[in-house]
Amino acid sequence: MKTLLLFITLGLHLYAGVSQGDKAPEFTLQTLDGKKSYTMQNFQGEVVLLNLWASWCKGCKKEMPEFFALQKSYTKGFSLVTISVDDKAAKSQNFLKSVEKKTGIKTPFITLHDAKKEVAKAYGVAAMPSSYLIDKKGIIRAVIVGSLNHEEIEALKKDINTLLK
Amino acid sequence: MKTSLLLTLIVLFSGCSEKLTRVMPYEKEHFADPKMSLTPLAARAEQDGHIFLIREASAGGDGAYQGGCGCR
Repeated sequence: MKTLLLFITLGLHLYAGVSQGDKAPEFTLQTLDGKKSYTMQNFQGEVVLLNLWASWCKGCKKEMPEFFALQKSYTKGFSLVTISVDDKAAKSQNFLKSVEKKTGIKTPFITLHDAKKEVAKAYGVAAMPSSYLIDKKGIIRAVIVGSLNHEEIEALKKDINTLLK
Repeated sequence: MKTSLLLTLIVLFSGCSEKLTRVMPYEKEHFADPKMSLTPLAARAEQDGHIFLIREASAGGDGAYQGGCGCR
């Protein structure tokens, strides 16, 4: 019986992704141009919305212009950090350029490249796109699976403002 | 004996584990490629389906266009 329980626990552990209340997993990733490297430590003391996306994901195409506007509406204390899981950084760069053209806004947030999908694995991404709202202490406060529309972004802003207080 | 049998079974069945065989959502880049779709032109496929329904004297059901009259 004990052995069975042990194997069930191990089996369930395989499926475990991060959830509300967990500490945000650490990462070290480079920007799309490969010029700069970031870790979670760089955002300590800030409210972070970590978004995992890809240029081939339809939901990401829909929500990205909203994210441009979201980051633009905050000047201090909030960082939108997007992580692309594209195999090639050039695809992500082209995608962002097309959004820049559409919105008329220069990419206002940090975009990192996770070609090896290590961060996606660490966060246990259940669907693309996925976003994680992380508080100033590095604790995950919300896990958002799927794309966000304008109304949902407005509701999210309220949560961000609460965490900023 | 029992333990070794159990361990052998676990190793064998771990190959069938969904986690090991499943393509994770963030690994679907190549599946999402347009060249992976069954028909390269979605609009053309709808039209072909419509013509097929008319030719086979079927009455709609495709949902892409209206009934089988061929008028649209």
